Amino acid sequence: MKTALLIKYAEIHLKGLNRPYFERMLVSRIDSALAPHRARIIREQGRIFVMDIPPDHVEDAASRLRRVFGIHSLCIASCVDKDWEQIKDAAFFVLEKAGVQDGKTFKVFARRADKRFFMTSEQLCRELGHEALERFPKLKVDVHNPQIPLTVEIRQDSAFVYAGELSGQGGMPVGCNGKAMLLISGGIDSPVAGHMIAKRGVSLAAVHFFSYPYTSERARDKVEELARIVASYAGEIDLYLVPFTDIQLTIYDRCPSSETTVLMRRLMMKIAERLAKECKAQALITGESIGQVASQTIESLTVTNDAVDMPVFRPLIGFDKEEIIERAKRIGTFETSILPYEDCCTVFVPQHPVTKPKLEKLRESEALVDFEPLIQAAIEKTECKKISQ
Amino acid sequence: MIYFDNSATTQVLTEAAETAVAAMTRDFYNPAGAYSASVAVERQINSARKDFADSLLCAPGEIVFTSGGTESNNMAIFGTLKARRGKKRILTTAVEHPSVYEVFQAFKNDPETEIKILPVDNIGHVRLDALDDALSADTALVSVMHVNNELGTITDLEAVAALLRQRAPGAAFHSDGVQAYLKLPLQKLPVDLYSVSGHKFHAPKGVGFLKVRSGLKFFGGQIGGGQENNLRSGTTNVPAILAMQTAANIYRKNLEFWHRNMLLCKKRLFLNLNELEGVFLNGPDVDNGAPHILNLSFDGVRAEVLLHALEQKDVCVATGSACSSHKRGKNRVLSAIGVLGTRQEGALRFSFCPFNTLKEVDFVSQAIIELVTQLRKYRRR
Repeated sequence: MKTALLIKYAEIHLKGLNRPYFERMLVSRIDSALAPHRARIIREQGRIFVMDIPPDHVEDAASRLRRVFGIHSLCIASCVDKDWEQIKDAAFFVLEKAGVQDGKTFKVFARRADKRFFMTSEQLCRELGHEALERFPKLKVDVHNPQIPLTVEIRQDSAFVYAGELSGQGGMPVGCNGKAMLLISGGIDSPVAGHMIAKRGVSLAAVHFFSYPYTSERARDKVEELARIVASYAGEIDLYLVPFTDIQLTIYDRCPSSETTVLMRRLMMKIAERLAKECKAQALITGESIGQVASQTIESLTVTNDAVDMPVFRPLIGFDKEEIIERAKRIGTFETSILPYEDCCTVFVPQHPVTKPKLEKLRESEALVDFEPLIQAAIEKTECKKISQ
Repeated sequence: MIYFDNSATTQVLTEAAETAVAAMTRDFYNPAGAYSASVAVERQINSARKDFADSLLCAPGEIVFTSGGTESNNMAIFGTLKARRGKKRILTTAVEHPSVYEVFQAFKNDPETEIKILPVDNIGHVRLDALDDALSADTALVSVMHVNNELGTITDLEAVAALLRQRAPGAAFHSDGVQAYLKLPLQKLPVDLYSVSGHKFHAPKGVGFLKVRSGLKFFGGQIGGGQENNLRSGTTNVPAILAMQTAANIYRKNLEFWHRNMLLCKKRLFLNLNELEGVFLNGPDVDNGAPHILNLSFDGVRAEVLLHALEQKDVCVATGSACSSHKRGKNRVLSAIGVLGTRQEGALRFSFCPFNTLKEVDFVSQAIIELVTQLRKYRRR
C-alpha cells in the first residue's frame, strides 16, 4: 500500500477553455513546492495526485502544499490497485488510523471516475460499509454527520482511500495573474497585504526603505525574514532595499514639519513605481487601512495615491487592526513583525502630523526641493536580493 | 575596525586559541580516562585549576569550572538556596546583570523565599544603609556584583562583608565578578561565591568558573558523572579551560601595564569629548571606576542612531549591555541610578581592552564630535 496526496483545487474549475492553462500553472507551483521531495505529480480529471512520497515525508509535503495558492484542500490517501481485497484492506487501514474507538460514526463515500470498474458507487458504499461494520463492531453508521467520512475514489490507474481532508489556501496559482510590487515595512500589515494579493495568483516583488543609521541592520534582516515567510506562499520574491536616509533628511531640512510623513510616503511610492516598472510589475501593494494612523486618512491616501500612475492595491483597507493581526498570526508573520528592531525613526515623525492634507498644498511643499536627483541616487544605490523559501 | 565593546566580549588571544587547538587535536583525551594520555590531560586541568585558585588566593578545590558567567551566577544562587530549607530572605541590588537579577525574580512566587532588591546611589554603589536595614537572621544569600557591566562602578566587597558578618553571619555572600576579574588588582576576596567568565578576558566563549568556598553549604547543579567535585557533572571542557588558563596567565603577567593602558584610553576619550556640549558621565568618576568601562550620555541624540552612525565608520560601541539591548524599553541599570528620559536614551557604553590605542581613541572622539553635531540638527519637532 502506498501513500499519495490527492489535491482538490479551488476556483480553477470555474474556468472554461483556459482551464488547462491554470491547471498546468498549478502543477508547476506544486512541483516547485515539493522540489525537496522528488515526488511524481499526475493531473487527471479535476484532481492532481502526488505519488511516490516516502511515508515519513508525507507530513512535510502536506504542509508545503497547504501553502500553495490554488489548492482548495488535500487528502492523505492510501493508494492501491483496483482490486476489491486491496481496497478493503486500505479502508480498514484508514479507519484504524482515524480511530475506531467506541461510538465513532462513519459513512462511506465512493466516486467511480473509471466507469469500467465492476462495482457501481452505490455497491461500493454498501459493501465497504458492511465489511467495516463486521471488522470493527463498535463503529456506527451516521449518514448525516459522520465523524469519519471514509472515501473511495476509483481512478484510471489506481484506487484511493482516505478519510477527511486538510484545508488549503484557496485562491489561484501564483503567476497566472501578473505581478505586483509590495511596499514592505517590517510591521504587521504589509506581509498580510502581500499574502492576500499573491493569493489571487499575482506574483510578488517587494521594496523596503531603510534609513541607516536611524534604523538598524537587524531591522533589515527582519524584513528579509518576513519576505521569506511570504515567499513560502508566493514563490520567489525580488526584494529591493532602498537607502532612504538622504531623502528623509532633506524633507526634514526643507519641507514643513507637519507634512514630513505624507511627503515621505509620496516619495516612497514614486521610487516603488519606478522599481516596479523595472521588474515588470503592474501594480503596487500597500498594507494601508483607513484611519489607522494620520497618514492613512482618506485625505492622506488621496495625496499618496496622487504620487503614482500605477494602480495601488490596498487589500487591508477595510480591516481592523485586530483582524490584520489575526491573519498575520495565521500566515506566520506576526511573531517576526513584532520584533522590536526599528524605533529610531521617531525623529522624523512630527509631533503634530497633518491628518487632512490638501493635495495642492502638498504638491507645493514637494516642489520646494528638486527630489529627482535624490530619487535617482537612491535607486542607483538600491540592492536587490532574491528571497525564496 | 575599532572595537570599544569589550564588555560584551573580547577577541581571543592567538596563544589561547593555539592552546585550544592543541587540546582538541593532539591532547584530546578525556581527563577521566584511566590511561596515561588521560592522566596527562587531567594534570593540565589541575594546573589550570591551581592557577585560577592562586589568582584569587584560594584553594584549587574551590574552583568549579562552568560554561561561563550566566551558569556561574545561576549555580551560585540555586546551589545556595537548594542547601537551605525553610523560610529565608535573599538580597541583591537593582543593578545586577540579568543572570542574577532574573534568577532572583524566579523566586517571586516562592512562599518560603522573600526577595529584597536593594537600591543603589546615583553612581551605582549598593546603599549600605539599605543593606543594613534589609539584613536579618534568616538572610540566606546576598548577591552584589563586583564591577557593574554598564557603568564600571566598583563595589567595596569588604564593606558589604563586614556588615554581613555583623548582621547576618549565616548568609552566603555571592559576587558576580565577570567584569571585575583581571580588571582590578588581584586579591583575596571576602566572598563565599564568585563568578568569572573567560570570554571577557580574551579566552573563548562558553567557559568560566565559580569559586565556591570550601565548607559552604552548597548543592551543585548538573547531576551525572560527578566531575568538578560532584558539583557540576559533564565531560570536562578541556580545550576551553586550558585556553582560559593561557589567556588569564598572560593577562596576569601584564596586569598593571594593561590596566594603565585601558585607563589611559578611557580618560583620553572622556577628555576629548569634553569639547562637546551636553555630554554627561553616567557612573563613577573616571578615576574611580573600573579601568575599562565608560558610560556617557549625549544630549539630544538617540544612542542607537549614534551607534549605527559610528558603525558606518567601522567603530563598534554599545548601548547599555549586550544582554539587554535586544529588549525594548527602559534600561533598568540607568533608571536605578536616576538617569532617565532623554539622558537614558542617549547613553553609550565604551569598553576597552588592553590592545586599544590612544590613536583609536582620538579617531573615535573626532568621529563622535562630528556625528553628534550633525545628528543634533535632526531632533523630533
